[in-house]
Amino acid sequence: MYEAMLWLEGSALAESLRGLGVWSYGIINLLHILGIGTLFGAVLILDLRLLGTWSSITVATIARPTVPLAACGFVVAVCSGVSMFSINATEYHGNPFFYIKLPTLLVALINIGVVMRMAAWRRAVVGEATQPGDRRALAVAGSVSLLLWLVVLSCGRMIGYW
Amino acid sequence: MVSGIHARCALLGLLLASLCQSAMAHHGWSGNSAGDIELTGVVESGVSLAGPHGTMQIRDAEGQLWDITLAPGPRTHRAGLKENTIPVGATVTVHGQRNADEERHEAKVRRVIWDGTEFNVYPSR
Repeated sequence: MYEAMLWLEGSALAESLRGLGVWSYGIINLLHILGIGTLFGAVLILDLRLLGTWSSITVATIARPTVPLAACGFVVAVCSGVSMFSINATEYHGNPFFYIKLPTLLVALINIGVVMRMAAWRRAVVGEATQPGDRRALAVAGSVSLLLWLVVLSCGRMIGYW
Repeated sequence: MVSGIHARCALLGLLLASLCQSAMAHHGWSGNSAGDIELTGVVESGVSLAGPHGTMQIRDAEGQLWDITLAPGPRTHRAGLKENTIPVGATVTVHGQRNADEERHEAKVRRVIWDGTEFNVYPSR
């Protein structure tokens, strides 16, 4: 892992980012927050709906804006995150929050894949009639997702305080 | 029912806010609480303003290499300390606080002195 960090720190990406001036880190950090805000805001709304909040609004209606917004936010967060990480990658070596954040992020992505394959989700997202057990299955999916993203968010924030 | 949800949301907000407060207390100088330190050494890697904080490395008379943490890039820059201001190999004196972890030779500094010039990256401290 340390070797990978060294490699990234010495990469052309890191070199060019370092040369962008004193405000570059702050601006990349700003983009990261923008990405996280978009991603987590969308995730929060969708997951709370899956947990049963605002039940007068259908899952299909809420999924329409939140899913693409979360995806956009995720892309912005990953690009800015990799950039910030590359600038001083080896600094993160031995940071427990970093080592919890990355695997949890991976699990959160796998969870998305699993939820998208769930019959209950597929019915809900096209507005088909719910079957017995759907609400419960979606509530579980929503709470697992919310928990995972909260861990990612919290660990990410705490990296800088270690 | 609705007011119940609001009350729970407010409670969750308060909890999160208090968590943030305790986290903020760890930011800044509390990790560098092993007392004031004054170090004189030769610049081994010059000032870099690329990361979350400006950094440099100096080697003291005993041959120990120290990681010097400056203010965030724009602030260090504003204090007149730019990336090429101090040449590698120059002798500098820094005032700051040593890392609480005695194993680490790291200090967060408020002032760098080189060639009769003072760079007060944290003038109010």
